[in-house]
Amino acid sequence: MSVNILIRFNPAKPKAGEEVRVQIVAQHPMEPGTRRDASGKTIPADHITELVVTFDGKPIAVVRPGPGTSANPLFAFKMRAAKAGQLKVNLKDLAGNSGEKTADLALA
Amino acid sequence: MDRRSFVKASAGAVAGALLANQLTSALAQGGLEGEDLANLEKGLQATLRRGFKDLTPSRDVKLVAPTIAESGANVPIEIEALLPAEQVKAIYCFCDKNANPLLFTVEIMGVLPYFATRVRVAETAPVRAVVETKDGRFLLASQSVRVTVGGCG
Repeated sequence: MSVNILIRFNPAKPKAGEEVRVQIVAQHPMEPGTRRDASGKTIPADHITELVVTFDGKPIAVVRPGPGTSANPLFAFKMRAAKAGQLKVNLKDLAGNSGEKTADLALA
Repeated sequence: MDRRSFVKASAGAVAGALLANQLTSALAQGGLEGEDLANLEKGLQATLRRGFKDLTPSRDVKLVAPTIAESGANVPIEIEALLPAEQVKAIYCFCDKNANPLLFTVEIMGVLPYFATRVRVAETAPVRAVVETKDGRFLLASQSVRVTVGGCG
């Protein structure tokens, strides 16, 4: 099962050299492995272990969330919009699922 | 009591109260609410191979977290290093009382030294932002988050 990812740039079309905030939301339950279901059994941990952000094929950030990151987590970065290009997000979780999403950054 | 001694006495009382106020806020700086260094130390050693004493509290690390969180399951955290981007290697975030004190790590490669996310805080405890610089320093900022409903149960 693939994990749904949303990417947003703020501002959507930055000027060259401007600071742009990249917001990534992964739709994932992020089970910490400490919760119990109605019958008292522990729900096994299932959270995102690695999220790699690349820009034009070059890795720019790697996030390794632990069980202490919220469900449907938001990851926000800031980068300098030097040139237009393609931002790509890859993620993996403990259950072996993965997700991938690309977004194009356009300059004003 | 005549008027003069009353004025003197009340001025003294006000000054005393101010001093006491300053004292308590100074104490709050030293010992954050819900501090649990033993548990934090475990997480620090496992992740950084460093202890709490190796971290330098610094004004160059800006940590934005709510002082009171209604739900511990969703606490917005913002960390910014006020350093040139090329000096920052990674950002770590810990919480003293979580079963697993490490909340997340971020390797900074091409982005600016800024990261924001939402984390779980098990119970009232300080959140620690640690910024690792390229020259091997670990800079620390802490803030206590008061939680009414825990986020890990």
